Amino acid sequence: MDSAPPIPQPPQFLDVPHLLDASQPRVRAGWFWYAAGFFLLIVMISTYLSAGSPLMAGAMQLFSGLVMLGLVAAMGMLTFAMARAQQAEGQRLVAVEELMQLRRWGEAAAMLNDMLSTPMRAPQHRVQALIYLASVLGRYHRFADAIAVQEHLLENVILDPSTEHGLKLGRVMSMLREDHLVDADRAMSELRRGDAERQSAGLALLDIYRDVKTGHPDEAIDIFEQRLPALREQVGHRLGDAYYLAAKSYDLLGREAEAQRAYERATLLSPLIELQRRYPEAASLSEKYSPVLAPAA
Amino acid sequence: MIPAEAAISRVRRDLTLSTVLKGLIIGIGIATFLMRGAMGWSHLLVLAMLGVAWIVLSYRSAMGSRLAVDSQSLIAAGRYEAAEEQIEQVLGTFSLFRTSKLIGIHQLAVLRHAQKRWGDAAVLCRALLGRRLGPVKGVSKQCRLMLADAMLELDDPRAAHEALNGLYQQRLTLAEAINLVAVQADFHARAENWAELAAGIETKVQLAELMPSQQSARTQALLALAAKKTGRHDWATWLTRRAELLADVQELSTRRPILWELWRVEPGASPPSTSSSAERRGDVSSENL
Repeated sequence: MDSAPPIPQPPQFLDVPHLLDASQPRVRAGWFWYAAGFFLLIVMISTYLSAGSPLMAGAMQLFSGLVMLGLVAAMGMLTFAMARAQQAEGQRLVAVEELMQLRRWGEAAAMLNDMLSTPMRAPQHRVQALIYLASVLGRYHRFADAIAVQEHLLENVILDPSTEHGLKLGRVMSMLREDHLVDADRAMSELRRGDAERQSAGLALLDIYRDVKTGHPDEAIDIFEQRLPALREQVGHRLGDAYYLAAKSYDLLGREAEAQRAYERATLLSPLIELQRRYPEAASLSEKYSPVLAPAA
Repeated sequence: MIPAEAAISRVRRDLTLSTVLKGLIIGIGIATFLMRGAMGWSHLLVLAMLGVAWIVLSYRSAMGSRLAVDSQSLIAAGRYEAAEEQIEQVLGTFSLFRTSKLIGIHQLAVLRHAQKRWGDAAVLCRALLGRRLGPVKGVSKQCRLMLADAMLELDDPRAAHEALNGLYQQRLTLAEAINLVAVQADFHARAENWAELAAGIETKVQLAELMPSQQSARTQALLALAAKKTGRHDWATWLTRRAELLADVQELSTRRPILWELWRVEPGASPPSTSSSAERRGDVSSENL
């Protein structure tokens, strides 16, 4: 009985190890030395031929001049084509960002899968694409994969401080969602050490979420009340998340009037379905409290 | 701090110089090629030297463009001094190509806009829009938005309108569309075009949700006022409550006094005193809407 060769399987959609590997920019070939060698060859041949006769010398001068001009033109065209390709890559990233902002996650995921499946042209574009990939994976509740991407970036790329902070916040959120509470706690302590200056509202939100998750509603409410001004200033409509978690904390403490008020504010700022998706631990609030509905269009 | 006028005249001078230098390199190159018979093999040496000079200057220009682009993240992070230094470096270094100088001026305009130095931002945006932008023509849309915003802050709605006019035929990115909604809301509110401001309110609110807190609160408050003026009270109540949660009512209304109408207890009454907490603001709103 002959054994059939294994059929190669297409890579899984958003297969993280594959995308991390395939998206590495290609190592540039050492074109300089090839070009220098070619140039030297031309010079040697033309010297040899022009030494033969004065007629050949004239022809070779014309030829070498044309080769020189041709080289300059080819380099110009090559540079232009490379710049255009890099620009197109940047534009696709802008499109991905827009799709994510508009919550068109499926299209964003497909585009990222496509982009990261082949070597990217610019390393900074790859980093940006991977940051977006981590967000998309989080949206699909693939938190372990999101953590893998975030750790890859944190370990292998030198990021500017604000990007690094954002990425670390994202990683802690993924850890909390995966119930890696010890790791999350350690990562939050690390973030807190560098947060004295920043007063990060994102970190405050994570603190509140961690306390809700671990059954410490008193602490969650304390943080919420203390950090409300920073949250208002920094997170825009994601302030709804903080109100939603505060509503859950009040509910856990049996402070129903305050829970109702916080729940109303949360649903005033964010669609209920989004809040439930982000914080499934608080989904039961909808059975008890009334949301604020957006007016009919 | 780089004075706007000085930066503009310096860039103008550098652009002229770079055009002359480029012309000179190309001219010498062509002349050398044509005179290759008389020059013998030395023409190759001259051409090679010109090539090297071109590559070195191109590299310096590319580095300048890179620095200018990097200053964007510094501005976004609120590190204005570092951004200023970087932009100064870009504007002070010679560049063979226009791109890095034009991006440098654009970033300076972005910086001044972020610093709320409206006059300087407007001067820089105007200078940029008055030039042929070539490969960086994409910045013209952001420039128009900043110019319109600066002109509204300087209380010149007519100039703001002129700046916005150039945008309507262009395809905008989402970020530009978001900024356009914010500036348009401000413009229509000043002109009291309530019906126009309230038109397509649902889409405008969706875009306002993507703005930073202050801008979002102001835009939604202006939309609430438009909804109130056009008899759409459900939208007015909903949007006012959202604005209250996102920003301080006192601060919002001090910057845009027209917004006091949303929180006025009764016609003709004085503005409410500064509320100390979100709770208090919520109560004021609920009583009056």
